[in-house]
Amino acid sequence: MTASAAKIARRRASDIVFKMFCVTVTVVALAALAAILWSLLSQGIGGLDLEIFTKSTPAPGSKGGLANAIVGSIQMCVMAMILALAIGILAGTWLAEYGGRSAYASVVRFLNDVLLSAPSILVGLFVYEILVAPFHTFSGFAGSVALAMLAVPVITRTTEDVLSLQAATLREAGVALGAPLSFVIRTILWRSASSGLLTGALLAFARISGETAPLLFTALNNQFFSLDLRHPTANLPVVIFNFALSAYDDWRRLAWAGALLIAATVLTVTVVARIVAKEPSRS
Amino acid sequence: MNTVNPAETFETSIAEIDKAQVKVDMRNLDFFYGQTRALKGVSIPFARNKVTALIGPSGCGKSTLLRTLNRMYALYPGQKATGEIMLDGENVLGAGVDLARLRARVGMVFQKPTPFPMTIYDNVAFGVRLYETLAKPEMDVRVEEALTRAALWDEVKDKLRSPGLGLSGGQQQRLCVARCVAVRPEVLLLDEPTSALDPISSAKLEDTVIQLKADHTIVIVTHNLGQAARVSDYTGFMYLGELVEFGATHDVFTRPATSRTSDYITGRFG
Repeated sequence: MTASAAKIARRRASDIVFKMFCVTVTVVALAALAAILWSLLSQGIGGLDLEIFTKSTPAPGSKGGLANAIVGSIQMCVMAMILALAIGILAGTWLAEYGGRSAYASVVRFLNDVLLSAPSILVGLFVYEILVAPFHTFSGFAGSVALAMLAVPVITRTTEDVLSLQAATLREAGVALGAPLSFVIRTILWRSASSGLLTGALLAFARISGETAPLLFTALNNQFFSLDLRHPTANLPVVIFNFALSAYDDWRRLAWAGALLIAATVLTVTVVARIVAKEPSRS
Repeated sequence: MNTVNPAETFETSIAEIDKAQVKVDMRNLDFFYGQTRALKGVSIPFARNKVTALIGPSGCGKSTLLRTLNRMYALYPGQKATGEIMLDGENVLGAGVDLARLRARVGMVFQKPTPFPMTIYDNVAFGVRLYETLAKPEMDVRVEEALTRAALWDEVKDKLRSPGLGLSGGQQQRLCVARCVAVRPEVLLLDEPTSALDPISSAKLEDTVIQLKADHTIVIVTHNLGQAARVSDYTGFMYLGELVEFGATHDVFTRPATSRTSDYITGRFG
């Protein structure tokens, strides 16, 4: 069967149209991203100076920085990641190594997927109910727990995925030496899957570092520098939210600088995750 | 209770194995993957300090049989074995068997090299550390001894601290042998250990296997008939989950008792 010349010409034309359509759509998407990054850079770079890191959020009209919010965010993110890694890696390991196709594992897997796409504001409200309302105070701890609840499903999922990708013979080789399966998992499989586990952790960190909604109900904010997570704790997303909506130019400038900081951090973490994921586990 | 005596089942050359020389005596073994019966009443003796080869076409149950000897199948729900596997008079399939201890006594090397993501030294020491607490100098000796017996020492003695995954395929497989013998198992199970290796690496590994039988009872599954003829003392031919023929390797290869065996070893099927 040979197509007629007209048919071939028509196919060529539709091929070109389709390709151009794809390119156009990609350009539109990238242009939006570039516009966001450009406005972040152009508006935020001016506000970036040393005082951002040394001074706390100011009253309107006076000079200040974001030190309290940066430190609060770091504290809460680190604590959230510790909680989430402990729970997420163990849960993911159970799903991959022990749960298998049992009914209980299917339920856990399904709920984890639901949690993965749960609106973060619901998580904030939930933590408000169990950790803020009963104690009559907003706190950095509550903020950490809310962030952890957002990170756990990401880590659980990636842990299960990367462990399932490990060769069955690696598991068997460890067991064949007389090691209990749990020991093989801890000493061999986790190590073998370490780059994947690290990628999952970094992605989870990127996910939570810019979350505002769950912190509004939990950590709230704090004008002053404090390391005490038992009280309301300043953090970048909420400070950006408040300052960006304010009527004061210097506050808005700080909001832009804070947004640039978060974006730069997330970008760095994502790039690092990519590099780590590409590296073969042998090195 | 099953009373089949392997020496009566195979009248040809099996009588050569003196009862006292049987290290592992498998009697009337059935194996099931769920409902599928993969091994059908297999009885086979494995002689002490000898190499026994299992040959047969793909899917005949050779690897399945091997994996019953250290109960590797127990990792997977739905797989079960019935019958008896007497290791020095103790039933491996018994209910009270400590699987970890059993696997320390019955070591296994797999088809594909499976070095752990750690240094060469730690790979070899991994199994030893599970059951023995050795001081550094003693562990050094044990690691050297194991690597020497796996014919790998000369190639890696200057890079014990580099990762095991950095070795070539053949070296990785000999590392796996070293890791296995370091635990000083009584029985060594080799599941097509050279199928992923080039001819030179395969030849080295075969030499290693012959050396190792001085201290171990060895069972090797192989698709390479030449290899079975070179390294083994006894050979079992399996087909569709049954042991068709068993005897001294020389006899099985030169005057097979059944036409099916002779067809297989002459390349007419399988």
